[in-house]
Amino acid sequence: MTLLTTRQETPDDAPRPDQDTRGQGQRASRRASHILSAFGFFGFVGLCFTVWLGLWITPPDEFMGNLVRLLYVHPPLAWVAFLAYGVAFLSSLAYLWPRTRSLVLDRLAGASAEVGVVFTGLTLVTGSIWGRPTWGTYWTWDPLLTTTALLFVLYLGYLALRQVPGDAEVRARRCAIGALVAFIDVPIVYFSVIWWKSLHQAPTVLDPINGKTYVHGSMAWTLLLGFVSFTLVYVWLVGHRYRLAELRDREDDEGLEAAIAERRAEANP
Amino acid sequence: MSGYIEAGYIIAFSVLGTYATSVVVRERAAGTRLRRRNYDATRAGSPAGRDKDAPVGN
Amino acid sequence: MWRDALLVAGKDLRIEYRSRVTLNQIVPFALIVVVLFGLALGPDKTMLEATASGLFWIAVLLVTVLAVQRSFAIESADDARDGLRLSGLDPGGIFVGKAGAIAVELVVLEVLLAVVASFLYDVHLTSALFLGAICVLATIGLSAIGTLYGAVAAGTRVRETLLPLLFFPVVAPVLLAATNAWKAGLAGAPSHGLHWLVLLGAFGISYVAIGSVAFGSFLEDR
Repeated sequence: MTLLTTRQETPDDAPRPDQDTRGQGQRASRRASHILSAFGFFGFVGLCFTVWLGLWITPPDEFMGNLVRLLYVHPPLAWVAFLAYGVAFLSSLAYLWPRTRSLVLDRLAGASAEVGVVFTGLTLVTGSIWGRPTWGTYWTWDPLLTTTALLFVLYLGYLALRQVPGDAEVRARRCAIGALVAFIDVPIVYFSVIWWKSLHQAPTVLDPINGKTYVHGSMAWTLLLGFVSFTLVYVWLVGHRYRLAELRDREDDEGLEAAIAERRAEANP
Repeated sequence: MSGYIEAGYIIAFSVLGTYATSVVVRERAAGTRLRRRNYDATRAGSPAGRDKDAPVGN
Repeated sequence: MWRDALLVAGKDLRIEYRSRVTLNQIVPFALIVVVLFGLALGPDKTMLEATASGLFWIAVLLVTVLAVQRSFAIESADDARDGLRLSGLDPGGIFVGKAGAIAVELVVLEVLLAVVASFLYDVHLTSALFLGAICVLATIGLSAIGTLYGAVAAGTRVRETLLPLLFFPVVAPVLLAATNAWKAGLAGAPSHGLHWLVLLGAFGISYVAIGSVAFGSFLEDR
């Protein structure tokens, strides 16, 4: 399914009776490209506004001071990290279901996972940066942060699984089951870390969103803008990453065909 | 204290920007490779140069 | 399915009995790990005593990876995997059988490790029954995940490095639960550790279920 590929240059061909269908398919994929670019454009613009509002226009918080500005970046990044994982999980699940099995879903899972690992890493980094001036330490074993750290490693494992060479369908099935196993683990990890922390009566004020701060006025709007913009950018990134995966798969397929054709041509001079 | 905030923003957006650029660049490169190979193959007359967008059959 | 499981488990355990690889290689490895922890954390027993349950369970996790690698290494000889596939055994049964054999070996190893650790780290194994129950439940989860990922990794060329990378993050909750339950048990207050038992049970059941369903597809691919 060449949903998102760019139009290929075709050398002079005799016009074919089915030219129209091909034209339609190409128009659809061009429309999809435009929609994708729209996501990217609005996401980028939104991010610019978020930065501008976040760093300059919004007031400092009465408790956290200027540190609240990281609130416009860290929670949205975390949200996208989990969203990306959810998308990877759902498309893996859909792939395993025989009715909806399609390599499109497998590529989507892989694309979402790669984008997700970037966002997860950034979540951890921004979380650490927040933690240092707030609690004096770069890392706390906060349930949310610890679960995110584990999510990061689970992602890395999944991506390593995707690199293993093999037939596309075999790889897809293998990765889908890997995603299933890993994703189901995430809530279990979350609850076990909460129980673990409660044993030692650690301070629970560690979640930035539920902190003592009252988010209102321009801060709330900026936060919302942050969430929306990062999500739009996520969609754009996944779209392009998906396209890359599709092109690579075609390269492999056609490379094989070309090699076979060459051998045949050699055999019949 | 404010240094942390700037650092956070700079790191977040530069990493995102670098990743986005890498995806787009890789995508263009793959597309170019594919187009060039198809063009060469069609000129050489091999069946592998068939346009994949054409509907299968008939 | 259960009959097939017993068949496969019996086969694996019999191979182990005849080749004694676990006995000759994995057991000494476990013992070395326990000693190395002692060396790393100093001769002062207070630190060792405080961290004993954590060290024990990390050792168990390391040993599980080895046991899983071994379990799938037996299948790679003489096209045994094809034999398994063509035998007509229920894939879920094969999964439960392999996981079961690994679990049995692990539990035996855990008992041995516990005794040695209590000796080296100066820890008294109070509420031993509770500790044993934790061991059994945790081992079920560990062997289920291990067998599942072992099958995934076994078909690839990077199996030695892939399996640990996949395995350890997923079993992190088992490590947490088992360690803290053991802490409660060793401190003589097993009632404080009961919710961990529940977590371990839920974990084990979920992954045995997923494994028996998903395992079939791994046998199919080449």
